[in-house]
Amino acid sequence: MDDQVDDQAGSPELFMFLASTVHDMKNSISVLSGTLENLMSAASAPASEDYPQLSHMLYQTKRLNDNLIQLLALYKEVGKPGYPFEPMPQQLGELVNQVASQARVLLQSKSITLDLDFDPAQIWTFDEDLIIGVLVHAINNAIRYTKDRVRLAIKVDGDYLDFRVEDNGDGFPPAMLEAGAEALDTQRSAVNFLTNSSGLGLYFSREVAHMHKHRQRTGTIALSNGSTLGGGCFTLRLP
Amino acid sequence: MSAVMSHDFVPNESAIDWAEKRYLLIDDFVGIRQLLRESLRNLGAKHIDQAASGGEAMVLLAKTRYDVVLCDYNLGDGKNGQQVLEETRIRHLMLPSSVFLMVSAEKSVESVMGAAEHQPDAYIIKPITEGVLLTRLNRVWIKKQIFAEIDQAFADKDYLRAARLCDAAASQNKLHEIDLLRMKASMLLKAGEPDQARQVYERVLEDRDYNWARSGVAKIRMKSGEPEAARQMFQAVIADNRFYIDGYDQLANAYLLLGKTEEACDVLERAAKLSPNSVPRQRSLGTVALKLGNIPLAEKAFRKCIEIGEYSIMKTVDAYFGLARVLGQKNDPKEAIRLLNSAVHQFAGNQVELRAKITEGLVYHESGDFKRARKSGDELEQMLASEPKRPDTDTCLEMATLLFAVGVKEAPKDLLCYLAKNNDDNQPLLEELQRVFDKARMSEEGEALIQASRKEAADMMNKGVLLWKTGKLDEAVAWMRDARLALPNNLRILFNSAQILISHLQQIGFNRELSEEATSVLMHVDHISPGQQRFAQLMEQLAMLAPAPAALASAIGDQLEAMGDSMDRSARE
Repeated sequence: MDDQVDDQAGSPELFMFLASTVHDMKNSISVLSGTLENLMSAASAPASEDYPQLSHMLYQTKRLNDNLIQLLALYKEVGKPGYPFEPMPQQLGELVNQVASQARVLLQSKSITLDLDFDPAQIWTFDEDLIIGVLVHAINNAIRYTKDRVRLAIKVDGDYLDFRVEDNGDGFPPAMLEAGAEALDTQRSAVNFLTNSSGLGLYFSREVAHMHKHRQRTGTIALSNGSTLGGGCFTLRLP
Repeated sequence: MSAVMSHDFVPNESAIDWAEKRYLLIDDFVGIRQLLRESLRNLGAKHIDQAASGGEAMVLLAKTRYDVVLCDYNLGDGKNGQQVLEETRIRHLMLPSSVFLMVSAEKSVESVMGAAEHQPDAYIIKPITEGVLLTRLNRVWIKKQIFAEIDQAFADKDYLRAARLCDAAASQNKLHEIDLLRMKASMLLKAGEPDQARQVYERVLEDRDYNWARSGVAKIRMKSGEPEAARQMFQAVIADNRFYIDGYDQLANAYLLLGKTEEACDVLERAAKLSPNSVPRQRSLGTVALKLGNIPLAEKAFRKCIEIGEYSIMKTVDAYFGLARVLGQKNDPKEAIRLLNSAVHQFAGNQVELRAKITEGLVYHESGDFKRARKSGDELEQMLASEPKRPDTDTCLEMATLLFAVGVKEAPKDLLCYLAKNNDDNQPLLEELQRVFDKARMSEEGEALIQASRKEAADMMNKGVLLWKTGKLDEAVAWMRDARLALPNNLRILFNSAQILISHLQQIGFNRELSEEATSVLMHVDHISPGQQRFAQLMEQLAMLAPAPAALASAIGDQLEAMGDSMDRSARE
C-alpha cells in the first residue's frame, strides 16, 4: 500500500499540468454541449437542413464528454489518487430523472423514444454519480445501434438490483459481444478490451460494477442480443 | 416528431419555488457562468449574481444572504471552492436553510474529502444538466427540512433532544435513515453517551460497511482507553479504502496515544501526500515532526501550512510559531524573530503576543543564546503580571517549563498552581505538573504547592455545596459565582455551579437572568471540555425549566451569538 501511495509522487509537475488541462477541456466541452442543447431545444424546426448535423455534433460531443468523465473517474490508473467511492441509499425516481434528463435532447433530436420501466419509490445503495455515468453511456451507445426505441428497465432480482438498457436495432456486432464477455472476466487484464473501440466505456462500467460490493457479492455487467425490444441489451447488476 | 418519452414524471417536490430564490454563481470561466445562468433561468430564477473568483464571491456573500450558491472547486489563483465554503460557514454568511453546491470537473479525493468538517450540501460533476441540478436542489431542500428541527436542537446544544428527534425522523424517512442515524450517533457522542452511540454505529454496520461508522466505533474505543484496538480498526478501514483521509488522521491520533510518535508521523506524512491542502493536517505533521527532531520534515510541513493558509480562513498562527522553532534549531534565530514579528502583525488579539514571546524564548534557548532567552523570560513575567487571563493548559505548561529553564522563579510556580487549582481532580495532568517541578529541581516545594492548590479548590467547592445542601440557595449561588471567577476552568466547580443554579430555578420558578447564567456556565464547560455526560443532562434539565420554548431559544440564541463572535476571533488567529 505504501508503494502505491508513493508512486504518485513521481512527477507532480506533469500531474498538475494534466489536471489543469483536463479541467480546461471539461469546461470547454460543458459549454459546447450545453450550447448545442440550448440551440436544439430552441430550434423548433427539426425539419431544417442543419438539424441532423447539429444532432450528430451533439452525439459526438456527448461521447467526448463521457470518455473524459470515465478517464477522470479512473484517473488512478494513470497514477493519481482515485475516486472517492461513496455508496449511499438512493431513490430510483431521482436516479432515472437525472439519467433521462441527460439523454433528453439527443433522443429528441434523433426521434428516439425512451421507454422507462421501474418503481420510482424503490431505494437501493450505490454511488449515484458513477451509476449515472454508466447508464448515460449505455443509453448513448444504444442510440448508436437502435432504430427508434431505447428502453431502460430496473427491477429488484433477489439480492441484486438489475438495470437493463435495451434497443430495437440489429444487436451488438460480434466484436462488441466479445469485448463484453471479456469485461465479465475479472481475471482478464484491462488492456485486452481497451484495444476495442468501445473498450473504455466497457472498462469503466466493469470497474464501477466491481466497486459495488455487499456481503461477498459484487456487481457485474453483461452484453447480449435478443432483448425485449429485439436488439442489443446492456445489463448492470448491483448487490 | 414522435413523443420523446413515454414517462415524463416529475417528483412531487418540484412544488418548491425555485424562481424566487437568490442565487450566486462562482466560476472563473465565463462560458460556464453563462451556461449555468441559462439553466437557472429555465428554472424560473430571476435573482442571479455572479463571481469570477473566490475573493469576489466573499464580497458578495458578505453583502447578500443567498438561498443557493453554486461554486466551482477550481477557481484559478486565490481561494479555491473549499476555502470559499469554509469561510462562508465560519463567518455564518449563509442561513442554515440555504444550499451550497460544490461543482467540479472531476470527483477527486482532494475536492471531495479534503476537509471533513466543512462539507457542501451536495457535489455536482460537470457538465451540469438542468435535470441533475433540479433533482439535487430538491433533494437537498427536502433533507434540510427533515433536519431543520434536529439542527436547531443541535445549535441549542440540547444534544439528547436532537438524538431523539433523529430517531423519530429515521422511522419515517427510509431514504435519509442512514444520514439520520449518523447524526444521532454524533449527537450521543456530544452528549457523553459513547455506549449508546456505539450501538447506533453497530446497527448501521449490520446493513453496510460504511467507513464513517467503522471509524466511529474505533474513535469510541480510542476514547475509552483502548488505543490499540482503535489502531487496528483504523488500519483496517484504510486498508479497505486508502482514500478515506479521516482514517489516517485518526490512526495518527491512536499512535500518539500509544506513545508511538514516529509511526504517527509516518501516517500523517502519507495522509499529507494524499491530500496536501489541509491546514490542520500540515500543522499536526509539523508539530509531530518537530517533536521527533525531524527538522527538514517539520520545516516542509509548516511552510506548506503557511502557503495553503494564505487564502484560507483556517490559517493558523501555530504554523508560524512552529516554523520559528524550526529556524531556531537550524541556528537562524534572526529569521525566526522576523517571522514571529510578522505573525504578531498578521494575527491580532487572543494571546498571540504572549505566545509569540514564549516562542521567542524557546528559539533563543534552543539556539543557545541564554542571555536573550532570559530577557524573553523576564518580559513574559511582566506580561503575565499585567494580564490576569491565562491561555490554555498546553500553553501554560510550555510557558512554565521555559520560564524555569531560563531562570525565572516565581511566575512559573504561579502558573503551575493555577493549573493545579483548575484541574484538581485530573490525575495525569497533576503528575505532569509535578514532573515540571522535578525538572526544575523543586520536587518537594512543588508537591506542597500542588497539594495546597488542590485543597484551595476543594475547600471553595465544599463551602458552596454545603450552603446548597443546608438550603441557603441564594448564598450558594453567590458563593459559586465568586468561585468561578477565582477558578474559571475548574470543571467540578463549573458543573456544581450550574447544578446549584438549576436547583434554585426549580425552587423559585423560571427566572431569565439565572437561566442565562446557567446557560453561559454550561456553554463554557462544553467549550473547554466537550462531550461530557453531565453537560447534556444539565442542558436537558435547563431546557425543561423554560416556560415556553421560545424564551429559552432566544436566551440561548444570544449566547450562541456571543460564542459565534468569539469563535470568529479565534478563527482569525
